[in-house]
Amino acid sequence: MGSAILVAIIATLSTWWVNHAITRTWLYPLWSGFLVALAMGEPVIGMKAAAYIQLTYLGWITAGGTMPGNLMVAGVFGTALTILSGADPILAPTFAVPFSLLGILTWQAYMTLNSFWVHKADKYLEAGDLTGVRMMNWIPSGILSFILNGIPAFILVRFGGDYATQALAAIPQYLINAFSTVGALMPALGIAMLLMYIGKKKIIAFFFAGYFLTVYLHLDTMAITVFAAIAGVLVYFFTVDNKSEGA
Amino acid sequence: MEETVQKEQVKLRKSDLIKHWLGGYSQETCYNYERLQALGSAQAIIPVIKRLYKTKEERAKALKKYMVFFNTEPSFIGTVIPGIAASMEEQAANGVEITEDDINSLRTGLMGPMAGIGDTVSQGIVYPILAGIACSLALAGNLAGPILFEVCYKVIMLTCGYTMYMVGYKKGKTAILSLLRAGTLNRVTEIFGIIGLMVIGSMAATRVTIITPIAFTVGDVGINLQKVLDSLLPSMLPLLAVLAVWKLLAKGKSPTYVIAVLFIVGVICSLLGILSIPAAT
Repeated sequence: MGSAILVAIIATLSTWWVNHAITRTWLYPLWSGFLVALAMGEPVIGMKAAAYIQLTYLGWITAGGTMPGNLMVAGVFGTALTILSGADPILAPTFAVPFSLLGILTWQAYMTLNSFWVHKADKYLEAGDLTGVRMMNWIPSGILSFILNGIPAFILVRFGGDYATQALAAIPQYLINAFSTVGALMPALGIAMLLMYIGKKKIIAFFFAGYFLTVYLHLDTMAITVFAAIAGVLVYFFTVDNKSEGA
Repeated sequence: MEETVQKEQVKLRKSDLIKHWLGGYSQETCYNYERLQALGSAQAIIPVIKRLYKTKEERAKALKKYMVFFNTEPSFIGTVIPGIAASMEEQAANGVEITEDDINSLRTGLMGPMAGIGDTVSQGIVYPILAGIACSLALAGNLAGPILFEVCYKVIMLTCGYTMYMVGYKKGKTAILSLLRAGTLNRVTEIFGIIGLMVIGSMAATRVTIITPIAFTVGDVGINLQKVLDSLLPSMLPLLAVLAVWKLLAKGKSPTYVIAVLFIVGVICSLLGILSIPAAT
């Protein structure tokens, strides 16, 4: 019960960005999933599930209120379902994907219905009531997010446990293997979407540098980041003098 | 001359600016399709308006101009826009000839470019680099992974956001123009792009954990295909998977389409015994 309420709050806040100083990172499966993991008392399993989901959605850029899939819902619900069913964390992306697609609908409902509160705020402003304007920014959207995201999350965690374990037990091993393979393949999407975004031709060689440093020298991500930073600084200073060539 | 001296000058206090800056982080609380961040940016500037204007009517009038369509990146870079708006409001309240249209055309003009730069910095650089490192730690079972992500992300976000807000307030629109003209921001973005690319290159090698279980014998010699591939190029299949998906995306296929493809390919290849995950994990 307690964990169901906590997960409902996390689900609400991952879409209702009350203040980005707090909730900016709640968009991302790694953090919101980790919070779910803590709430459900399975920090390590849940964290790994969250990380697998995160990798799938790594390159998903949300701009102008449109998103190709609802990664907030994917992170929270995907992690919760992985923990509930007791599945291997590598299956988490497979669980998360249907939620992220359904989540497109709840996101659209959220973004559409929120327009009403702006009109309400217009009215308050007309009457010179600035407190009313403030309230319209926070309260109705919060309630809406609770209905759209919080309540389903509560139901999933409170009542979904038995169904989830039964459903998982009913899936034959060869399908589990198949879904694991899908889960292992999914991060390719996150990585490729980032390549689309930052992989400019001029600097694409650095992608392969990172790859080869890892496969041949077995450097871990931290080490790669250190060398990448050095490479970046070098490039910056070696190009600083040819300003005329820039553009 | 005498008139301006006589008129009492209203100055914004540091606390007003801090409230405005932090309030801007609630710009997407009532995010909506109709006017996106309009209501959010209006409520954020209330402390500034309250300081500058005394009567209810004046305040409502000043605030009204913020209730128009507005959308930018509100956390890292786009905070420069409220910074500039605060400085323009202050000048306007003190008798400088600045109209509503001046303020709004500036905000509208800047919101696109600032969203472009801001989204690149936040979603294209800071987030993937930090998340990449944090996921590696998390998958190794290290609880420091997500915590590191949360702390570093917020420190970078608040530092960038505060700096940009204050630059906007102190230097006004000249700040952005000089920043854009020198191309410094573009170059810095490129440097971080290099770091990002190396990190995701490393992730391509380690985080796509598919192998092939195919093994067969030729005469008396058993051949394990994965070992052959490893001797050619370690993690060859993950790299090929990433490059193939990249190709699909470059052709304009949607992420949802790619998910469907990965799902079908993964299931079929697994059932046929072509692909699997390493047994040890």
